[in-house]
Amino acid sequence: MTEDPLKPDFSMVMASSVHDMKNSLSMLLHSLELISDELPEEMKKSGKVATLQYEAERVNNDLIQLLGVYRLENDKLSVHIDEHYIRDFLEEQAARYEVLLSSRSIALSIECEDDLIGYFDRDMTAGIINNTLTNAARYTRDKITLKAYHDGHNTVFEITDNGTGYPAAMCNAPGKIFKGIDFETGSTSLGLYFAYQVARLHKQGDQVGSIELENGGDLGGGVFRISLP
Amino acid sequence: MNIKETAALPKTYKRLKFLIVDDFESFRMSVKQMLRSFGVEHIDVSGNGKDAVQKCTFERYDIVLCDHNMGEGQTGQQVIEELRFHKRLKHTSLFILVTAETSKEVVIGTKECQPDGYIAKPITKAVLQKRMDALILQRQALLPINKELDLENYPKAITLCTQEINKGSRYKSWCHKTLAHLYYQTGDYQHAQKIYDDILNRREIAWARLGLGKVQMAQQQYPEAIQHFKRLIEDNKDCVEAYDHLSEAYEKIGKRKEAQTILQQATSISPLAVPRQKHLGELCTTNQDLEGAISAYKATVKYCNNSVHDSADNYLNLGRVLSDSSEGGDTEKSKEYAEEAINVLDKVAKKFSSNSVKANACLIETRVHQGQNNDEASKASFAIADSLIDEASIDPKTGIEFAKTLYSISDTERAEQVLHALAQRFENDKSILSSIEELLDEPVGLRQKMKARELNKKGISFFEEGQFTHAINTFKDALKEAPKHPALNLNLVQVALKSFENTTPDKGDIKQLEQYLDNVRHIPSQHRQHKRLVSLTKKVTALSQSENAN
Repeated sequence: MTEDPLKPDFSMVMASSVHDMKNSLSMLLHSLELISDELPEEMKKSGKVATLQYEAERVNNDLIQLLGVYRLENDKLSVHIDEHYIRDFLEEQAARYEVLLSSRSIALSIECEDDLIGYFDRDMTAGIINNTLTNAARYTRDKITLKAYHDGHNTVFEITDNGTGYPAAMCNAPGKIFKGIDFETGSTSLGLYFAYQVARLHKQGDQVGSIELENGGDLGGGVFRISLP
Repeated sequence: MNIKETAALPKTYKRLKFLIVDDFESFRMSVKQMLRSFGVEHIDVSGNGKDAVQKCTFERYDIVLCDHNMGEGQTGQQVIEELRFHKRLKHTSLFILVTAETSKEVVIGTKECQPDGYIAKPITKAVLQKRMDALILQRQALLPINKELDLENYPKAITLCTQEINKGSRYKSWCHKTLAHLYYQTGDYQHAQKIYDDILNRREIAWARLGLGKVQMAQQQYPEAIQHFKRLIEDNKDCVEAYDHLSEAYEKIGKRKEAQTILQQATSISPLAVPRQKHLGELCTTNQDLEGAISAYKATVKYCNNSVHDSADNYLNLGRVLSDSSEGGDTEKSKEYAEEAINVLDKVAKKFSSNSVKANACLIETRVHQGQNNDEASKASFAIADSLIDEASIDPKTGIEFAKTLYSISDTERAEQVLHALAQRFENDKSILSSIEELLDEPVGLRQKMKARELNKKGISFFEEGQFTHAINTFKDALKEAPKHPALNLNLVQVALKSFENTTPDKGDIKQLEQYLDNVRHIPSQHRQHKRLVSLTKKVTALSQSENAN
């Protein structure tokens, strides 16, 4: 209305920059797909294409989180809860990682009933699952399972792997405290913080969403679990 | 996804017509290549919303993939709004909005403006295929129902929805939602309410809560509806449709201030919707919040470009409220409003070539100049308007504007002629008659009206405290602003009569009272002050006779 036109709203700048970067990422990922179709077999297997794809996905996840956390701080993040077919949703997330995982000989399986229905914010939950998958792709030995089921009133998503698991310190109250950035590992713990906040935005009656980290599970590695009421 | 159904998909893709809308050519090309690889043969592309709407006029697309943020032109949401508004998008077609992020930039609008699906960028082939597969399978399954919806054969659609639900369909939730809406549309509120209640008993779901509120609105159960909309907003701060209905419910029970506040919240969440801003402008005007009205009407002018809501009314409304604000002052602010009003009105006269628009613009301009004591410019504007107007066939809106302007340039006689002629021509139209009546009551500007009303209130409270002299003087001051106002004149007579219980009036006093009553003689017998006029006239006449007898 009477805002100073010379002083841009930072949230708008951020949103439009993210939009622009996402357009670029779309082009980048698509060109990559085209190039990889033309490559000889041995180069396809070398994993360089997969690395490019992996890093592009990571940039995308970071962008989503960046904008999400910024909005969280400004109390502008809200969830749009809708009904979704969980199997379709999980297959879509898995499809993003198809090339990457097969180049690393990692087997990804989905365990979910065909007509399972859940109520959640599709894009934000996708962001969390993608972020966890990116992470799992890095630390697992050769297996990842993407699982979904109903537990009472909750819809539960579980991502398990057969790697060495999460550091014990992380499993304690994950995401509740933003631990700052560890420059040595590059881990920002931003992902968990974001996941925790998004889970908490999912409410139903007096129930609130939550996340858990543990080691073990069916595959003996790390287990990430998000329960949404 | 069912394997058997998925296997048939390449054949389906082959039959479907696609339209890709994006401002980036490279993006259009890349999506086109992806679709080709799925087996799609018919693909058109479009670089902006305007072109996309045009293409949809000449071709029935089965699936439209449209980017939301397309630089300068229309947004994806405006495209869908326009397509649905002109009914160029069938129920059987899918409109999919491509967004960089759905959370904030696309605010959930009304049901009519919602896309059938979202896809978030970046789009990769694998993800697009998964999403398209799912959407197309759903489209196939629901095709029979949507065909009936396109034919507006609601009873058949209701039967099919019920069958699909009884089959235990994967899409039963969509069917419940559609079924409840169909019951609502056909006026079967009981069945609609039952579906919403059943769903809400199991889980809090926004569309069901909204639907329940709407069903109760339709049955005039406003307090209950208000509770639902309030609860919905508590859980979903961004659900603008809930604000719209809540505001409407407040209006229905006469709480216009609350209605305005709620609608203002909705416009701050979703400023682009022109009809909402327009309605807010009207509400603010009724609530005499000129600043609020200016801000809302400004938004209608700003956002109506590129949209189906671009109309001269937006500009004229803004011109009118700016003109009202500029009245009765030689302050800087008043000059500013006057200048702005002239700018807007010049713009609308140029933009829309119709005579009626030009006439309206000139009429308002006349008043603006008049308010700034610029007689020459005022006369010039009026002359143009007068030349464009044919009194015998004038449309009611322009007629009322004309009369208002005539009052402002003190041509009361002609103003009343115009209004009487209008009243005769539209004697069966209640809303026109009430505007005419209102103007006859108080043929003055809004600012003067507001001042007169305030003084009237003050006068009444003096009267109640027994301070008759103060009351009389205050009413007299008010009459300077609105000399023909019925309630004011009658209040004044009543207080005077009361004060005569202690002092004896002389001839002059009574003459004055008769003058006040004469001020009100123009009101018709249906007027709400008419009874009072008759009874007070009797009293004054009696007083005058007893004075003569003395």
